[in-house]
Amino acid sequence: MRLEAPARLDWAEALRYMGSFEEPDESLTARLETCQAKVLAAARPVGWWARFERGQAPAGLLLDTGDIARHLEGCGGFVLLGVSLGAGVDTLLRRLSATDLFEAALCDALASTLAEAVAAQAESAVRLALDKEGLYCTGRYSPGYGDWPLAAQPVLCRMLDAQRRLGVCCSASCLLAPRKSVTALMGVSDHPVQGKLAGCGHCVLNKTCTYRKRGKTCADY
Amino acid sequence: MRITELFEGRRTVILDGGMGTMLQKAGLGPEERPELLALTRPALLEDIHRQYLEAGSRVLYANTFGASRKKLAGTGHGVEEIVTASLEIARRAAQPYGALVALDMGPLGEMLEPAGPLSFEEAYDCFAQMVEAAGDKADLAVIETMTDLYEVKAALLAVKENSSLPVLVSMSFEENGRTFTGCTVQSFAAVASGLGADGVGINCSLGPAEIFPLAKQLCEAAPQGVAVFVKPNAGLPRADGSGYDIDAQGFLQAMLPYRELGLAMVGGCCGTTPDFIRLLSREFGELTPPPRHPKARSILCTPVRVVEVNDVTVVGERINPTGKKRFQQALRDGDMDYLITQAVEQAEAGAKVLDVNVGIPGVDETSLMVRAVKALQSVVDLPLQLDSSNPQVLEAGLRVYNGKPIVNSVNGEQEKLEAILPLCKKYGAAVVGLTLDEKGIPPKAEDRVAIARRILDACLAAGIPKEDVYIDCLTLTASAQQKEVMETLKAVGVCSRELGVHTALGVSNISFGLPCRPYLNTAFLTMAMAQGLDFPILNPNSAEMMAAVAAFRVLTARDEKSEEYIRRYASAPAPAPAAQAAGGVDLAGAVYRGLKAEAGAAAAELLKTQDPMEVVNGVLIPALDKVGDAFEKGTLFLPQLLQSAAAAQKAFDEVKKVLAGQGGGGPVRGTILVATVKGDIHDIGKNIVKVILENYGYRVLDLGRDVPPERIVETARQEGAGLVGLSALMTTTLPSMAETIRQLRAAGLGCKVMVGGAVLTPEYAASIGADYYAKDAKRSADIAKEVFGS
Repeated sequence: MRLEAPARLDWAEALRYMGSFEEPDESLTARLETCQAKVLAAARPVGWWARFERGQAPAGLLLDTGDIARHLEGCGGFVLLGVSLGAGVDTLLRRLSATDLFEAALCDALASTLAEAVAAQAESAVRLALDKEGLYCTGRYSPGYGDWPLAAQPVLCRMLDAQRRLGVCCSASCLLAPRKSVTALMGVSDHPVQGKLAGCGHCVLNKTCTYRKRGKTCADY
Repeated sequence: MRITELFEGRRTVILDGGMGTMLQKAGLGPEERPELLALTRPALLEDIHRQYLEAGSRVLYANTFGASRKKLAGTGHGVEEIVTASLEIARRAAQPYGALVALDMGPLGEMLEPAGPLSFEEAYDCFAQMVEAAGDKADLAVIETMTDLYEVKAALLAVKENSSLPVLVSMSFEENGRTFTGCTVQSFAAVASGLGADGVGINCSLGPAEIFPLAKQLCEAAPQGVAVFVKPNAGLPRADGSGYDIDAQGFLQAMLPYRELGLAMVGGCCGTTPDFIRLLSREFGELTPPPRHPKARSILCTPVRVVEVNDVTVVGERINPTGKKRFQQALRDGDMDYLITQAVEQAEAGAKVLDVNVGIPGVDETSLMVRAVKALQSVVDLPLQLDSSNPQVLEAGLRVYNGKPIVNSVNGEQEKLEAILPLCKKYGAAVVGLTLDEKGIPPKAEDRVAIARRILDACLAAGIPKEDVYIDCLTLTASAQQKEVMETLKAVGVCSRELGVHTALGVSNISFGLPCRPYLNTAFLTMAMAQGLDFPILNPNSAEMMAAVAAFRVLTARDEKSEEYIRRYASAPAPAPAAQAAGGVDLAGAVYRGLKAEAGAAAAELLKTQDPMEVVNGVLIPALDKVGDAFEKGTLFLPQLLQSAAAAQKAFDEVKKVLAGQGGGGPVRGTILVATVKGDIHDIGKNIVKVILENYGYRVLDLGRDVPPERIVETARQEGAGLVGLSALMTTTLPSMAETIRQLRAAGLGCKVMVGGAVLTPEYAASIGADYYAKDAKRSADIAKEVFGS
């Protein structure tokens, strides 16, 4: 799947990832500009998706209980989706970690916003393809979100053939490499479906979340 | 079929087609492990093999693509069992057709370091286990569908060191001519053939039409004598995941142009079936491939960058501790970030290759070389020149190097030639030969040339081609051996013109002991380049020397239309004095406002009159406290905190320089060990904590990420760490944090433990026995003060 990096990244989102809800001042704006250029130059976004019937889901994908089961209510199938910014961004972040801590943190946050933007783009592409067939789908739902265990990640990656299609590997502790990669599931149905979000109840961050402290949730941004 | 027929080039050898495709047709589910079919459905595999043989395949890839211990983990089956069974099935099918059977090895499924947690050494072990399991049951080994050149190297070494099987390697490229990890076709050709691959190829990812231009590049890049092959997919995958976009006839049509390339073997990958191979076999089976005419080029490379030495190529000399106290201190502390900073600086200054020397008395040079090579190649994309006189150090560096490096150096001594050239050959490295021998450096040019000739002959005899030989005629110091300067230049001229080899020189030695060294350095460099010097080893941060190179390229018409020169110098201001503490910003102000350059300059200024520890305790720490307080109150945020930390870090670099000059690390406030726990590779939070703690004057040992508990315990014990900081970002790696704390306690070490990371809570921290929960970097500094006293 061809994915294009946007010309500009979401600076406010990047700063939120760093815990700042302030408007950037002049000097921070200049740094954001430089770092954005570095991230965009290093990124080579790729995406891939594959569709499955509900019955094809192996037990290891852990779809039968909890939040993800509720998310999939009414869905006869699902799409697995993966995107990655590629190895170049990892190299950039490693280099900056050793040479410029501030730029490292800023580029890390900016790259996260880019990964999110690219995932949203891939999601739209899936939606469009399904729409052509008169099918409906839920929003993206990723392993580790709500109570869907990260243990589903390696299974998801195998089903997606993520290494061959995206250059993405999943480690024994369920981490994706390259780091700025996103995998997700979308429920597919022949009638309109919303897909239930997990909410804060099962979130591991529900006591420490900076969004909640401000009276909001991550879905509000 | 005899194995040698693969490489004789009399007829194009037909390989097989897709195995996964055939298995899916037979009903293999998306989560089923294809390798297990060797046990559960051997007849199915044998039948697929037989279909390919009937279609004309002369070589079968056994169904062992994912039979590594990494991929078989959790299946309850072992490598030996699956590899043996799969090879036996392929052999049963192949026998009646007289076809060959290959042990097939695909990627291990985990990303190798530095991007992932899998070490090069473990990857090697995984492949070696497969090779040993194959024993004499395979006729050849195939390494395929690789996207990471480092993994190719691990697999190739595993085959070469554990068997005598011929070996083919193919990588998968994207349409931009690079693999997912950024590896180029030229880098692949240079490294794989250098390591002794018998054949190099391209498979998977793209169809024949898209692979064609890449295959052409590969045919030009692969040295004579190395077979080239392709196994494309059946076109591109359809967007809806329903298969591939060309049929057997379309595949054949797209393959026809390949007849001109001189390929030794052809086959198919995903989406191809016996029908594809049948057509391919009719067209290619009787074809005598035309001879290839690859160009002999002098190449050094990393996976993502190829440096062709066909012009003056600057080698940066700065990663070398000789005469540099700060550098020596960094090596003793194992501070790889310092080396990385030096590397990045030189790369930005225009170096094309970086020399790496880590030899100082009292350190384990071998393990330091390994660490330095791994650290440098994780961040810079310039090829490295591994610099040591010790063959053991060189071999350790060559082994873990990802790319084609150059070795510095061998010389005319028989013993050196015998020890070092076989290493260069084995690992596919180029080599610098110094024109000295048992009798020392000959004063006369002709005697140095005679040694050069001997070195070149020895290289050729060892199988190292001429284009990989670089002769260093040795710069002698003008202040001591003035008359011999011209002899060096004369020797450079003869080696370059008559022997036709590249020539190297350590340029700045010329001016040792004389004032205004850049004047002499540039004059000598220019004279030497006029004689043919094309591999000068120098300090690229010297604007004068880099200007001499740029000017030389204009005057010899290599920099066409002076484009590079103009780009570099058109808008450059006249050379200016070093940055002052601009606008009179004081150190505390510079740190608070996060002004990096100003903080460095202000610290340097202050250190002229004040004791380094006074600067730390009296200025830096109060400034950082002020920033930290504002952060805690919420009037200042992480971006500003980090900018201040980076500025303080710059100031601290100046402090370290002074301390190293005084002969040591100086007094420290306490030793803190930080690490991201095993299984986790997120390290930005840990890096922030590290810098902040360093800025407060603590000695911080950073063990990196994915660190096993045993190593943390061992280091904490050896170094007497008073505080251990552990970081984990994922719920899946929290257990490994708990285990690390358990082992630290079991070892009876008196250290305190603080933990941090996005998913941690104070309650969880307490439940796993941590002494402190650090919610952010500021808190970690407060904890350190509590532990060590402020």
